[in-house]
Amino acid sequence: MAEMGEPAWEHWARERNDPKAARLKAEALDDVTVLDLSYKSYAGCYCSSMLAEFGAEVLRVEPPGGDFLRTCTPYGVLHHGEGLNYLTEGRNKFHITLNLEKPEGREILKGLVSQADVLIETYRPGVMHDWGLGYEHLCEINPRLILASITAFGQFGPMSRSRMPDYDNIIQARSGAQYDTGEMMPEGMSYDDCPWAIPTKAGPWIGWVQAGTFMAVGILAALHWRALTGEGQALDVASAEAYASTEDWAATWYQGAGVISERFGNLNTACWLYCFAPTKDGAVFLGGLRLEMWQAFADMVGKWEEWGAASWQDLAVFSEREEQLKWAPLVFAETRKYTNEELVAMSVDYARNGRLAPITPVVAPVCSPEEAMHDANWLDRGVFAPFHDPVYGELVVAQAQYKMTETPIRTKWVCRPVGYDNEHIYLKYMSLGPRRLEALREAGVI
Amino acid sequence: MAESTWKDYREKKKSKPLPLKGIRVLEVCTLLMGPSGPGMLSRLGAEVIKCEMPPLGDTLRSLSPFGYFFREQSTSFIRPNPNKYWLGLDLHKPEGQQVFRELAAKADVIEENQRPGVMERWSVGYRQIKEVNPSIIYISKTGFGQWGQYARENRPSNDGAAQAMSGYAWMSSFPGQRPLKSRLYVCDSYGALMGEVAVLAALHYRQRTGKGQFIELSQSESIMRAMSWIWPYLHITGEPAMPAGNRDVSLCPADTFRCADDTFLALAAPSPEEFRGLCVAMGRPELAEDARFKDHVTRLQEENATELLRIIARWVRTKMPAEVEALAEKHGFAASRVYSVRDVVEDQHFRERGFLTEVDDPVVGEFLDYEFPVMMSKTPPRVRWTVRPVGFDNEYVMTNVLGKTEDEIEGLYECGALGKWADVLGRRPPADWDGKAGRIMARD
Repeated sequence: MAEMGEPAWEHWARERNDPKAARLKAEALDDVTVLDLSYKSYAGCYCSSMLAEFGAEVLRVEPPGGDFLRTCTPYGVLHHGEGLNYLTEGRNKFHITLNLEKPEGREILKGLVSQADVLIETYRPGVMHDWGLGYEHLCEINPRLILASITAFGQFGPMSRSRMPDYDNIIQARSGAQYDTGEMMPEGMSYDDCPWAIPTKAGPWIGWVQAGTFMAVGILAALHWRALTGEGQALDVASAEAYASTEDWAATWYQGAGVISERFGNLNTACWLYCFAPTKDGAVFLGGLRLEMWQAFADMVGKWEEWGAASWQDLAVFSEREEQLKWAPLVFAETRKYTNEELVAMSVDYARNGRLAPITPVVAPVCSPEEAMHDANWLDRGVFAPFHDPVYGELVVAQAQYKMTETPIRTKWVCRPVGYDNEHIYLKYMSLGPRRLEALREAGVI
Repeated sequence: MAESTWKDYREKKKSKPLPLKGIRVLEVCTLLMGPSGPGMLSRLGAEVIKCEMPPLGDTLRSLSPFGYFFREQSTSFIRPNPNKYWLGLDLHKPEGQQVFRELAAKADVIEENQRPGVMERWSVGYRQIKEVNPSIIYISKTGFGQWGQYARENRPSNDGAAQAMSGYAWMSSFPGQRPLKSRLYVCDSYGALMGEVAVLAALHYRQRTGKGQFIELSQSESIMRAMSWIWPYLHITGEPAMPAGNRDVSLCPADTFRCADDTFLALAAPSPEEFRGLCVAMGRPELAEDARFKDHVTRLQEENATELLRIIARWVRTKMPAEVEALAEKHGFAASRVYSVRDVVEDQHFRERGFLTEVDDPVVGEFLDYEFPVMMSKTPPRVRWTVRPVGFDNEYVMTNVLGKTEDEIEGLYECGALGKWADVLGRRPPADWDGKAGRIMARD
């Protein structure tokens, strides 16, 4: 128990972790300088965002024409000339331009490298090396440098020389995640009848996101090692590997039993109760990974007696394929009697008053993004707090995904146009004043 | 090419140092989002002590595809739990709580995923632990965080709940079809990964200042952070964000297509040079100059994208996947068959990189696991051993970390603070275990 007189846990946590107070606190990484050379890669930009949110000084280095990623935007929608994906990952970064195809540009980059802790890049393996900017070159300039490369196939291995670029939908396909996600083909139907009953990728850029976030963890681990030894190193993420590594049972199943995991719709091959179930006005997720939670579900929908829930001994039996296909329609017939809101309320109430309370099944409404964005719970927790950016106006981007007592993340600005910070950054790091900068601009170097 | 940097990486990695050397982590986690985070730190060389409630331990030990168990272990349990030390500790008992506080005094990080307030009821909450270790980094990972309406209602959560409530599943189906759950526990694994960014950033801060802190992580908030354009799109256009099947609405062309042999292939060629390459490969170079397709932002507009994807679909329908992959390689765009798990496990490139790694485990035997997917030239992360029965390393942890005597350990067993596995599938060792292999102490 907490000491007498201390506030309840929830109050204590809210008081210290509400994102509204974040900007008054310290930043965990404000001693770290990062060069982000990502090109055509949301993975790279997302990776540097993870560090910039914690206060790292991130210099986004784009070619003079800007990153192609700025044009990668849903249905071609632009906001103040900017693509929406780039807009969400420009946060807290300084944006400079530099032409690495020119020798003068590469010399300037070396000057920046000598002052940086981390360099993130996403060029095809060999490109940096051919520019004289490979790890062997850069570690001469700065042995403490952490060079982080995110590419389709990685820096070594038989496919590393592939010319193929790295895109999210390819990562989702190559990682094995898409193959067994999707609707089952209804009996007697074909792809022509049901073109949606096929391997289905996730809508969001999850492949790129996983690659970028794994690299952020790698960079932070490398910074820890550097603090112990003073040594930098090179890091290598092949993006399909990053996403594939999050798979947790199919590879072992295949090795042990030779079974290839196939699509199983909104059920789950590896557990029960674990599905989306239709309701009067939509669908809910149902979860009950302990026998008592599955029993609690049966009880909650009034089927304790009829289904014989008291006599159930072992949840594993229910996860067999045939059992799942038998039980799912019975469960759905019950959930169809209620609205999402009613079912959620039933679960919350069951936790208080049910026969097996406090055990209760997980019931969660399947929401559209609009519903999520207007959900009072997330608004209260600061995830969608509107941000007023001096360049782009009022925007909503997801933020504050961690709450921390000492070094919370924060959004200081959302994005910047191409080359917006050239004057400040080149003066600060390279002592290049306006006249020399102008000459470099005319020469096509920046 | 970085040949000297990565030369013989796979062969040499087992004898190199690990980056999180010297970091000790206590885990009080079950299922997937909880244990996966410490499972990353343990791959990076941290010493992770996994505390489970004896004799049944982690709920995940019960879950396996259609009831299949791999050498009597849950297949789901293996990947999130490598390189850990296995402590069977009952935190309901005051003696168990005392042992935990003694361990906490010597730890750097604590990770837990109980419902809000439970750890505090067990006298091992952040406020109690910081009394014995003010520089502790303590992370609580749950569906909804530690405060707010849903936390207050004490709602339980799973991966599927976060896929549902974040809008992620809604955005991941075909137009006109019902929202679709990913077959991966994507919000579990991603929430875990996100949590480690915070933990390691906090460690960095502690190194500079000596200060620890409390971190709370919500599964849904983590995945919402990853959903990029959707939020500003809703805010700026006022239009609903719609699912688009396998088409990527931010890249054009990028979609999954059906091949001549009725298998599926993902293809992407959005940048100018990639798109030109694709048009040449299709024998339609004029398309690259077509006003509807000429530049990327124009190409992305609904009508133009639909037309272009129709043209590509007709072309791919006449090709075998290997043909398109070869053309992609030649012309510099991206294409890949949709890999099944067999394709992943048997992929030669993944194997030669050592991403697929052979584990020679004294208890479970030999098998292939996935390595932590960041290759580190000087400090390669790696799997060394895998899962163990509940309480398997009790003697080692009590003796080596806490310096307990045999009598003290005996007392902890007698009062039930320490315990070992039940003779139940997923908890006990494989049938052929000799009673000694893999044990660090108390082999006799």
